Amino acid sequence: MSAAASAPRPRLAALGRRPLDALGSLMRRSPKAAAGIVILLVLSLMAISAPLWTSYDPTSLAFKSMLTPSRLHPLGTTFVGQDILSQLLYGARFTMLIGLLTGLIATLIGTAVGISAAYFGGRFDEIVNGIINVVLVLPGFPLLIVAAALLENAGDWAIIIVISLTGWAWGARVLRAQAMTLRRRDFIDAAVSTGEGPGRIIFREMLPNLSGIIAANFFGTALYGVLSESGLKFIGVGDVTQPSWGSMLYWAAGHTALLKGAWWWVMAPGLCIALLGTSFALLNFAIDEIANPKAANAGRLRAARRGKGRVLASQSAAQTLTRPNMKIQPPNPAALLSVRHLTAGYQTPQGPVRAVRNVSLDVMPGEFLGLAGESGCGKSTLAFAATRLLAEPGEVFSGQSVLEGVDLLTLSESELRRRRWKDYSMVFQASMNVLNPVLRVREQLYDAMQAHGVTDKAKLDARARELFGLVGIRESYLDVYPHQLSGGMKQRVVIAIALALEPKLVVLDEPTTALDVVVQRQILEEIQAVRRRLGIGIVMITHDLSLLTEMSDRIAIMYAGEIVEEAPSSVLQSAPLHPYTRRLMTAFPPLGGERTRREGIPGRPPSLALDLTGCPFAERCDSVMPICSLQKPVLSDLSPGHRVACFLHASPEQLTLAKPEVNHVLASD
Amino acid sequence: MSSPATELTTATELTTATELTTGVRPGTPLTAAVSANAALELHGLTKAFKCGRGGRVVTAVNNVSLRIERGEVLALVGESGSGKSTVARLVARLETPTSGSVSVGGQAVPRRLGSAGLRALRRRVQMIFQDPYASLNALNTVGYTLSRPIRIHKLAPGREVGAQVSALLDRVGLSPGALWAARRPNELSGGQRQRVVIARALAARPELILADEPTSALDVSIRLDIMNLLLDLKDQEGLSMLFITHDLAGARYMADRVAVMYAGSVVEIGPAQEVIGNPQMPYTQLLRRAAPKFGEGTETQGAGAQDAGELPLRGEVPDLSKLPTGCAFEPRCPHATAACKVALPPLYELSPGHLVRCVLFDPARPGAR
Repeated sequence: MSAAASAPRPRLAALGRRPLDALGSLMRRSPKAAAGIVILLVLSLMAISAPLWTSYDPTSLAFKSMLTPSRLHPLGTTFVGQDILSQLLYGARFTMLIGLLTGLIATLIGTAVGISAAYFGGRFDEIVNGIINVVLVLPGFPLLIVAAALLENAGDWAIIIVISLTGWAWGARVLRAQAMTLRRRDFIDAAVSTGEGPGRIIFREMLPNLSGIIAANFFGTALYGVLSESGLKFIGVGDVTQPSWGSMLYWAAGHTALLKGAWWWVMAPGLCIALLGTSFALLNFAIDEIANPKAANAGRLRAARRGKGRVLASQSAAQTLTRPNMKIQPPNPAALLSVRHLTAGYQTPQGPVRAVRNVSLDVMPGEFLGLAGESGCGKSTLAFAATRLLAEPGEVFSGQSVLEGVDLLTLSESELRRRRWKDYSMVFQASMNVLNPVLRVREQLYDAMQAHGVTDKAKLDARARELFGLVGIRESYLDVYPHQLSGGMKQRVVIAIALALEPKLVVLDEPTTALDVVVQRQILEEIQAVRRRLGIGIVMITHDLSLLTEMSDRIAIMYAGEIVEEAPSSVLQSAPLHPYTRRLMTAFPPLGGERTRREGIPGRPPSLALDLTGCPFAERCDSVMPICSLQKPVLSDLSPGHRVACFLHASPEQLTLAKPEVNHVLASD
Repeated sequence: MSSPATELTTATELTTATELTTGVRPGTPLTAAVSANAALELHGLTKAFKCGRGGRVVTAVNNVSLRIERGEVLALVGESGSGKSTVARLVARLETPTSGSVSVGGQAVPRRLGSAGLRALRRRVQMIFQDPYASLNALNTVGYTLSRPIRIHKLAPGREVGAQVSALLDRVGLSPGALWAARRPNELSGGQRQRVVIARALAARPELILADEPTSALDVSIRLDIMNLLLDLKDQEGLSMLFITHDLAGARYMADRVAVMYAGSVVEIGPAQEVIGNPQMPYTQLLRRAAPKFGEGTETQGAGAQDAGELPLRGEVPDLSKLPTGCAFEPRCPHATAACKVALPPLYELSPGHLVRCVLFDPARPGAR
């Protein structure tokens, strides 16, 4: 839903701008980040301020061997008489420096290699990708041991370089993949076509969009660096006289500290390594959360829901129902689906968004009802809410949705599962993607039927053939996998699955929007034929009014969560009454007739987070009257089956009812 | 049935690529076709993509020759996979043509271009992308995005760039420009974003705009506004435009001439009113029949519309790696004959500037239309 999507998203790029501010806001936003940063800070402080905590030199052998912890030596002493605390503190310096440097170098190499491979592509990419794969296949640690042993006397930098060189490939691979996706994005093509050169495209357009992954990669490789260093030292490779957490472990193990009961000697560096690892992992999680705000939002929404959200929503629902000239209508018993006073929407951290506002609507048996409106008018939310498919953070606030005498909104989950698909089914816009890629089409058709008790193989097969015939696919396609089918074919399969149990109602939410015109027409004609043959009721939701007028028996126009006009298709086409409907009708160019200039609809629909007192269309309406912004027009019958919510067509009674209030307000102006 | 085609007795088979699709009357000397007047001229433009290691070759654009006059809008219509977007990407050099030539403003664009040559081309040719949610970098402000073309092509001294950006935004209906320049894409609606994308295309002061489905990702209510904006800008700036769309009604609204593409080839080209009002190529008729009928009234006139009634809606766009030797539409065509399988027919001229690639219009064929 657009309203939910427009909630402000944290931007990773902000990290680069004002580092301290960003750090603060990051910690407030994510407890994981806060914990990770605190641990990292404590460990860094330990390393930096080592001389403050201990006056001993970590390499001094001045003390007695294997002292137990005491006031003078809080962590005791080693076999050769070194103070363990000072070793731990000074060791942190070396270990963390190794982590920082290897993290930086490996990330730098990985980023440069990954992004340039993705950007330049072609032969270059093939070669680079080959190298990355080779490095990944090589067993890292043994390689490290060999390389480090060869460079034994080359010093710390050699170790750092060797660790970095074995650790960059993982990041390069991830970044290459991400950068390749990014490279295909239109905004990169757009930058290229404005004449931008490779440098700026990589550093200004691509790199900031990859900052999350790069940061995650840094923490990953830094941890790899720390673990590698510790591992190497532990087995005695490198300069083990240099105090580091790894060399502490080496000496502790060498002198069988645990057997001698000096568990603190092992525990202290071990715990520090683990803590450093935890902090890196937490920071990684936090970055992931920020990069995918959806995951993070869910938690916050749950908190909001527990608090004021629900109260506010039910209050506003109550307000809708208690408006003075509001009559509560019972469900229509003759209708297949009768929606009454349905109010539904989304819980957002900023409060509830009511995307569907007190909507009442009937679908008669065998009827084709079209539901049209701009994006964000609530038409899909209405369909999801009425069929009880609205997932979190969506929520039905009040109302009824009665299918053949049963209110779907009050059914138990198990009862709902029994009815769904059998009594009604749904086809969604991107529903081609619901097909399971590893199952043959036939099995997916069977699934729906088997779940509702059809198990006889012969029956299943016969029904599957029949369904494919219905939607115009050759039977031989029953045994293919979804990827072997085109988009149009997949959508047909999905429609066949929706028809499998002969439901009485099928809800189609923009079923053909993603398809080409010719395929769209083919599918719509097949839907129409199936409907006539089986007598099913159809609700089709689309923003394309031109298609609906051809297909539907009746059309309802939605605006800002409400139905503003409803009429038989032919009536709506020849004599639309609501100014919004009229503008929608002329909002696309015609295929024939004079070529004249037409205008779109100026302005934008109001935010669904607001509660409006007047007509929601008033702001964009060219026939707006004073009353329109003061009071909401009621959806009232003009002729049988033609309902309009507009003061231009209000009954005299409605206007007089409204007048005193208007006069009052106007007088007080 | 009284289509102009049946009355046309002088339909001549044209073989020269230039004449084929440019609307040049037969008999016009060829040299005149390569005039400085053309904003864009394509000769036998072909793009073959190699897919995977199997060496499967997909011919996305197959020998396309087109011409757009200065100040003209040519709509390129077709389904996905017809190669219409690839044509635009070839002209903008987001892809390199496999063969064929491209001339912009009467100057041939060399096949190999250095970075200076590319920059020069991109100052003259700008692209508008389909999805404004994808074509703007979410991390950059509107002002930054718009300042880049001005800076890259050194169109204004540094201190004037800001003022130019504001002026651009004002011109696409986002005023006051200075205010909009400070925003980021996530603060804008789809329509506003697309206006920014249009402003970016204008920033380099190009001669030719390649608009790749600029309205299909937008809400119905704002599509007309964007189309009107493009038409206004075209008039004010004297731009020429290649308008790519799958929507026949939109093509008719925007364009002076329409070219219909199928499986990489231009199959029909002519004045917008004629091609859409009275389509001759069976594929165009199919497209016409599939388009929503709304807004035409009850009296649908024209031979094309009548024919369309019989057209079966069958099949899908062919596999571009296994194109038949003949007409690619033949497997779906209700009028298909043995002749269709022999070779891809040339474009036959039915009336001045209206050309169709279909053997039904071969004057040498007995009973030709």
